[in-house]
Amino acid sequence: PGAVPPHRPGLVKMSSAEPGRFFCTAGRGLEPFLAREVRARLGATEVDCVSGKVFFRAAAAPDELRKLRSGERLFLLLKKHSPLPVSGSKGKMLHEIKRFVIEEPKYWLDVISVWRKLHGHEGKTDDVSQENTLVLKRKSEEETNTASKRQKMERVRAIVSEECQVEAGERCVAPERMRGQEYWTESKTSSEFPSKGSGENPTANEKLSFSFRVSCRCSGAIAKILTSQEIGRVIGIALVKQCGWRADLRDPDVEIFVHLNDIHSVVGIPLFRLPLANREYIRTAGLRSTVAWAMASLAEISAGALVLDPMCGLGTILLEAAKEWPEACYWGADISDSQLEGADGNIRTAGLMDKIELLRASVKALPLPSESFDSVISDIPFGKKFKITNDAQLLPDILQEMERVVRVGGTIVLLLSQDLRKRMDGLTKCAGSDSPEATADGNSEAAPAKVLSVDGNSSSLAGGVGKSFLSSRHFGSLVPDGVYAVSLGKTDAFIHKYRKVSAAGN
Amino acid sequence: KLGHPSELPPEPLPNYEADEDFLRRLHHVLLEVEVLEGSLQCPDSGRRFPISRGVPNMLLSEEET
Repeated sequence: PGAVPPHRPGLVKMSSAEPGRFFCTAGRGLEPFLAREVRARLGATEVDCVSGKVFFRAAAAPDELRKLRSGERLFLLLKKHSPLPVSGSKGKMLHEIKRFVIEEPKYWLDVISVWRKLHGHEGKTDDVSQENTLVLKRKSEEETNTASKRQKMERVRAIVSEECQVEAGERCVAPERMRGQEYWTESKTSSEFPSKGSGENPTANEKLSFSFRVSCRCSGAIAKILTSQEIGRVIGIALVKQCGWRADLRDPDVEIFVHLNDIHSVVGIPLFRLPLANREYIRTAGLRSTVAWAMASLAEISAGALVLDPMCGLGTILLEAAKEWPEACYWGADISDSQLEGADGNIRTAGLMDKIELLRASVKALPLPSESFDSVISDIPFGKKFKITNDAQLLPDILQEMERVVRVGGTIVLLLSQDLRKRMDGLTKCAGSDSPEATADGNSEAAPAKVLSVDGNSSSLAGGVGKSFLSSRHFGSLVPDGVYAVSLGKTDAFIHKYRKVSAAGN
Repeated sequence: KLGHPSELPPEPLPNYEADEDFLRRLHHVLLEVEVLEGSLQCPDSGRRFPISRGVPNMLLSEEET
């Protein structure tokens, strides 16, 4: 409520002990996990959660910041204002935007020196000032600017595709949900730095100047008047004029990130080249690592715990969990040989061979003793890509085995699609409640359902009468303990947590 | 049956807890040896589960389920 007071550039000197203001993007639904993580891991204060971003203040060095597991990209916060006033005039809006973003050259020099200090580039401040004085004296480079702005747009597109292509596996998560316009565009101009008119040697030019790239995203009311490209171009040109920097799309020294929407106006500099979600310890990615970490964080893994993923695939959940909670023992099972091979490769890359044990087994017939695990965490495959076609029908069998191997008091954390979660809710309804879902399920085509009677023998029950009976008896031992909707890019999914409160049949 | 026939006795000797040499060899076999190729045998049924590249295959065939 109300406007956010403008951030004045007071952060000149920063050491690892001094607090700084940051923001971190997050996949939709993961913001609460990230907010909790920055508080717990970094002792962050002034934590402000909005859709897709968490702002915070923390006294942390880059290597500590890099450890964040539920965020996408981390930025040094430069400015955070209330949304810019929207007028019908493009020119007026662009003027407002420039006024917001562009500062005196000294401001940018300070920012760059702060950023460089964060990255251990001490002592380069002098070089930067020299570079800039030299460059400011150069003649106008209008042609260079125009070509480079178009390159910028091409590059920006490439960057986003890279971020999405991180997953070699089945799922791809876009770093942020963009409700408004996308900021890349098809560009037909080729990349070139024409030197005609500037009278300077372009190679010398490149060596001397500090290079940058502008990444602009806008959505909401502003996006109706201006495109991200237009804004990015204007900011880029202004920065070149103001500071004498060189625009470089391929490998800039620094990236300036501008995000304008109906909630706020934000300017930041990304701290790391690659998203945090890119884990150096994962060779072949499956499930988005941030979601995997979030699931593991719900399982209450304590020292000495035994944790199982009975449909582990490439092992992403186990890897995230074992990295964060190394004092536990992890088991992974899968029926697919190729998936297990990938998991094995990942485990070796991560150096976690002594922490994660792999088994080729079916989740419907786990070769594991009852009540032998403290926690079961799994991403239940859904969709046409996977071999399990009738997931919904197999769910009771899968759940039965999971429930069996978990000890009383243990947790089960599952990632489910919309369809699967409906089925799941039907199966885990408490005994006695007569939910229409439980009986109206599309389970009627199944042959006699199996029900575990008290003495453990299977008996067959025919017909619909048994269904709600099945539901209420079968999984009454699993009590729901939280549901979290998360975005997986193209689809939405739900993290469901359960606690086993008693042995089945009791 | 790990190919170390001479290293471990067929049964633990009395007072094995105090036998440091035995304990060291037992620790090695239990915790430091990784079976890459071989099999696990069910003590009840005798059914063998093959191990390949360190991963045991515990899938049951149609008749077994």
